[in-house]
Amino acid sequence: MNLLRSLTRRKLRTALTVMGIAVGILALVVMAALATKLSALVESGSTYFRDKVVVTGVSSNPFSPALALTPLTIDVVQQIEQVPGVAVATPRILLHMNPDDPSNAFQLPAYIVGYTEGADRGYENSPTRVAKGRATGPGDEGQQVAFLGADLAREFDKGPGDTFEIRGIEFTVVGVGEPTLMSFDTSAIVPLTEAQAMLYQETPIVVERELDPGQLTSMVVVYPEKGMDTGLLAQRIEENIPKVRAGTSTDFDDQFGSTLAIFNMIILSVALISVVVGGLSVINTMTISVAERTREIGIKRAVGASRARIMRELLSEAAVMGLIGGLFGLASGAVFIYGANQVGETSGTVLFQLTPEIAVLAVAFSTALGTVAGALPAWNASGLDPIEALRYE
Amino acid sequence: MAFLKARNLRKTYRLGRDNVVQALRGVDVTVEVGEMVAIVGPSGSGKSTLMHILGLLHSPDRGDGPPPSLVFDGKDVTELRDRERTRMRAERIGFVFQSFNLVSTLTAVENVALPAEYAGRRRKTALATAAEALDMVGMGDRLGHRPMELSGGQQQRVAIARALVTEPALLLADEPTGNLDSENTGELLELLRHCNAERRQTMILVTHDPRVSEACSRVLTMQDGMIREG
Ligand SMILES: Nc1ncnc2c1ncn2[C@@H]1O[C@H](COP(=O)(O)OP(=O)(O)OP(=O)(O)O)[C@@H](O)[C@H]1O
Ligand SMILES: [Mg+2]
Repeated sequence: MNLLRSLTRRKLRTALTVMGIAVGILALVVMAALATKLSALVESGSTYFRDKVVVTGVSSNPFSPALALTPLTIDVVQQIEQVPGVAVATPRILLHMNPDDPSNAFQLPAYIVGYTEGADRGYENSPTRVAKGRATGPGDEGQQVAFLGADLAREFDKGPGDTFEIRGIEFTVVGVGEPTLMSFDTSAIVPLTEAQAMLYQETPIVVERELDPGQLTSMVVVYPEKGMDTGLLAQRIEENIPKVRAGTSTDFDDQFGSTLAIFNMIILSVALISVVVGGLSVINTMTISVAERTREIGIKRAVGASRARIMRELLSEAAVMGLIGGLFGLASGAVFIYGANQVGETSGTVLFQLTPEIAVLAVAFSTALGTVAGALPAWNASGLDPIEALRYE
Repeated sequence: MAFLKARNLRKTYRLGRDNVVQALRGVDVTVEVGEMVAIVGPSGSGKSTLMHILGLLHSPDRGDGPPPSLVFDGKDVTELRDRERTRMRAERIGFVFQSFNLVSTLTAVENVALPAEYAGRRRKTALATAAEALDMVGMGDRLGHRPMELSGGQQQRVAIARALVTEPALLLADEPTGNLDSENTGELLELLRHCNAERRQTMILVTHDPRVSEACSRVLTMQDGMIREG
């Protein structure tokens, strides 16, 4: 009771301090939620690529082959299957859904993925998971059907039986996938032949003249034989087949792990800034409030309050400020994240993931911060000679 | 048996190079168990300073001259560490400050309950005893008032109740009747005499009021930081 009374005695100052902490914690919670989501994305991507090698032309990035300048020709598939250690090689086409506007800043790009479902002959470790309808199958080749990723389906509000227009062509939706946390969520899977026709349209005229659509692919997904190391296999493929790049999950980690590391750095800096700002404002508030109460502390010491007891009183005040600030910060962070995800959902991308761990850690952290910041003023105040303190005006 | 025995108490305040105030210049006092002693003397003679030292709120100066010593109920407390001094203040000593020193944010009853809490009582018990103590000083109807909402005399009585709440073995009161009218002074003296007689509480009272010093068993006179007995 006394604790609350001394906190409410200087309402404005206490409120400002609590606000200061809350803003820091808000930033911390939002950044941590973003990092969690991104880590999950990178992690699931890394898991996806763990059992395979992705082969593209030298001028492409195996993990973003939609940027390919020159597509591969399909005969590479046979060549790859000759490489010792390869179990199955399957062509796959990856195209930007909207070539003119591949992505905006806060949205993962939407892809068209073309492959023949089942061509992996059971080697795929992350098979398509169907939420509604069915997956595409070998029988769909030549049909204008599409299987939509979870985010894409939600964004355009499409389900099995609906039509979905891709580059001016109407596709019939046969199924919708479950969320995968990968680019599949913003992709439409179409039969290989349909994708080949679209890729053909995009291919430079010089190349186009010599080929027909059925000879094109943007990459080859290679499944190694049991026990075969993907890194070794990738090396063999690059050695045996000219002008290709073979990527593994290690390459994926190298490429996206560094992005993640940068993000973690940003989060760490935000945490540091919130420590400094929140901590300083608690120190400031506690110093002032202790100075104001020097007489009171002197009186309490004079009538028998131990130094430890004074410390406890002041520290619990600081801790409560930290706790309340943390709760406010968490609450506003949660509101922000909810709102941002709500907006993200309509545009296809959910960017933040607020976990219970983040919530608990944020509040615990700000409580600890308040306590630590209050420690010095509390220590000084409790050490005053009672008579000196009583003389203080 | 001597309850309190102080020897060679000195206190010098150095305000500047040439501005040195010798508030106490070697005071010796002995107070027997159950005694009620008055300290009188002109303003600035060192009465409050002496009371602070006897109340373990301040330490006497060491250094030039014979070393000071303070024996409290047979125990040498001259070199006591802060923790034990604090405990003795909470459990054995009641102190009435010349300027009351009430906590302005706490109500009368909460102020009075403080020493009881510090002495280890539960908050509820402490508040109950505090209410009784306030009743004894005639403040039973002002439990929920803040110091600001009380007159000087009322604040003084709250301060006295706070000093008595733990039934301390030693009561040190610096001008306890300074703000009281003669009726209240009479009642307070009655109360103090009762505590002294019934509870065997030893008392030292600083006062300018002849009625108070007359009620005491012995009167010490201070002048220029020294004690003149008689
Ligand atoms: N903190 C201090 N700093 C400097 N001088 C002090 C301090 N406290 C007391 N003094 C000086 O010590 C002397 C004794 O002061 P003290 O308060 O003990 O007097 P007193 O006898 O209680 O006077 P009064 O009857 O007015 O209360 C005074 O001259 C005073 O100026
Ligand atoms: Mg005085």
